[in-house]
Amino acid sequence: MTLQFDNVSFTYPGGTAGVFDISLGIGRGELLAIIGASGSGKSTLLKLLAGFVKPDSGRILIDGNDVGHLAPEARRLGVVFQNYALFPHMRLWENVAYPLKVRGVARDERRSRAVDMLGRVGMNLRADDFPAELSGGQQQRVALARALVFEPQGLLLDEPLSALDAGLRMEMRDEILRVQRQSGIATLLVTHDQEEALSIADKVVMMRDGRLVQIGTPRELYETPADASVAAFVGQSNLWPGDVTGEGAVSTPIGTLACDTVGRTLGDKVTVLARPERIEPVTDAINSAMPGRFAGTMVADRYLGPLRRIDVAVAGGVIRLETHLREPVIGVVIPPGAIRLLPPA
Amino acid sequence: MAIIAIAYLIFLVAPMLLLGLGSFGGSWSNTLLPTGFTWRWYQELAADPSFRRAFVTSLQIVTTTCVLNLLIGLPLAYAIQAGARGGVRVAARIVTLLPVAAPELVLAFGFILVFSSDALPWLGSFWLLAAGHLVLTLPYTVTALVADMEQLGLDQYEHAAATLGASFAARLRDVTLPLLRPSLLSAMLTVAALSIGEFQLSNLISGFLSRTYPVVLLQAFYGATGFACAATVVLLLLATLASLTSGLTAQFAGSLRSRRAA
Repeated sequence: MTLQFDNVSFTYPGGTAGVFDISLGIGRGELLAIIGASGSGKSTLLKLLAGFVKPDSGRILIDGNDVGHLAPEARRLGVVFQNYALFPHMRLWENVAYPLKVRGVARDERRSRAVDMLGRVGMNLRADDFPAELSGGQQQRVALARALVFEPQGLLLDEPLSALDAGLRMEMRDEILRVQRQSGIATLLVTHDQEEALSIADKVVMMRDGRLVQIGTPRELYETPADASVAAFVGQSNLWPGDVTGEGAVSTPIGTLACDTVGRTLGDKVTVLARPERIEPVTDAINSAMPGRFAGTMVADRYLGPLRRIDVAVAGGVIRLETHLREPVIGVVIPPGAIRLLPPA
Repeated sequence: MAIIAIAYLIFLVAPMLLLGLGSFGGSWSNTLLPTGFTWRWYQELAADPSFRRAFVTSLQIVTTTCVLNLLIGLPLAYAIQAGARGGVRVAARIVTLLPVAAPELVLAFGFILVFSSDALPWLGSFWLLAAGHLVLTLPYTVTALVADMEQLGLDQYEHAAATLGASFAARLRDVTLPLLRPSLLSAMLTVAALSIGEFQLSNLISGFLSRTYPVVLLQAFYGATGFACAATVVLLLLATLASLTSGLTAQFAGSLRSRRAA
């Protein structure tokens, strides 16, 4: 593992917030995203790795060496900050050349290396401009170039896309991934945007209250969340408390649902998860006496372009579903395969 | 708007114009404007040893005050900005502002009490006077710098520079000082203006040979009007000179990095 946390704990002075007993690793060329609500400790992990704060216990390893007590300047990690932090008094090439300058590279060589690096993010023609002349996305590219030009051992991205508008965010997401793949560098991405994490990360870590809740591939987090909090944070979800009432049957506030109960015993408390896109809309009369079939009325109908996200009120609750149908929905079917049983909340 | 601006300018400039006129006037009593033209007042002023000495002393005091402000104010502001959190931060900022709240007269008598003792017999010395000016001006420097550091988001740039491999000294040279240059400049201009015009404290604690220009100027008003005008015009020139010097000091501090970054 190139970047590694080994039982790391840290508490902010004078408070109880922090991160607790964190162990995780990022391999060469791997992109690991940390997601979680504000205050979950995801930014603290980045600060620990970058060296802005020092761990109370545990080890932080870069290429196997304990760097826990090294200053940030001794760690050789490229960091892209939320607001880019390009030096406003330096030209773009000077910004990108700065890490080379402090390493004593001669002026001509560092200029040519900086311009090369700017070329890799498509900004070489602006080398002599100042950061204030650039748009947010362009500053982002330059910040990425500056973080990579000195061939660091790891790349840390702190909410890199949060200051951009939606369209540009998609484009920069691909751009970051392309540059990251090209340089084959171990990368830590901190984001509150789960969609961003799912779309570009090799592995995603979900944090809550300073602890790791789940670590896995984007697909694992989405399809097999560890608990209701992960399911709620990653993507859209329907979550109901339930009791196992028989083999293949779970009772919930909206009624009895048929599903796979293997591994559960009668009377077990569970949380029932059904993703909206797995729920089938019904547009004509439905026999709601059968398990998993509900008649209801639409209480919210959000038009999202390619699909609609609809809330259907049924006796005992609301069911959210996504469909590409354009007709009014008057009932739903929750197929057994759409349901996943999670630990009770 | 233009009329108001012009009226305000006239209001500001008129006294200075009158001073200028008066300083070249042969005699000025009981008339609206002076009569006759003469260089005499400036010649007398230039020949007066106490004014010449005070002129030089004032320049020295202003320069020393500016340099001390840079040497002490910059690290102090940096420490408050980078190190102090929560209550400590508030306390530090209040303490740095205290000298402004204390009447200068009280400060001056405090100086007299402490520094006329046998243990610390420094009353009347140049350095004590400079220290007095430093106490009066430092709050302005520190307040302005801390506010600007916060507004710039200086810590973010420093974090960025650190991750790029810059040591503390390199960060100071390449990032902190260049970014703070405009703030240093305006802080030094304020300091120079305050120091050059300072009268109360200087009048009470300066020695006979280390009197600043405003202290000596008071005496001019006991003599001829023309002489007083000329002496005041020189103070205005002195103020301009001091502002330029202090501005250059700050430029220099900010450009330690220069010779083109990278």
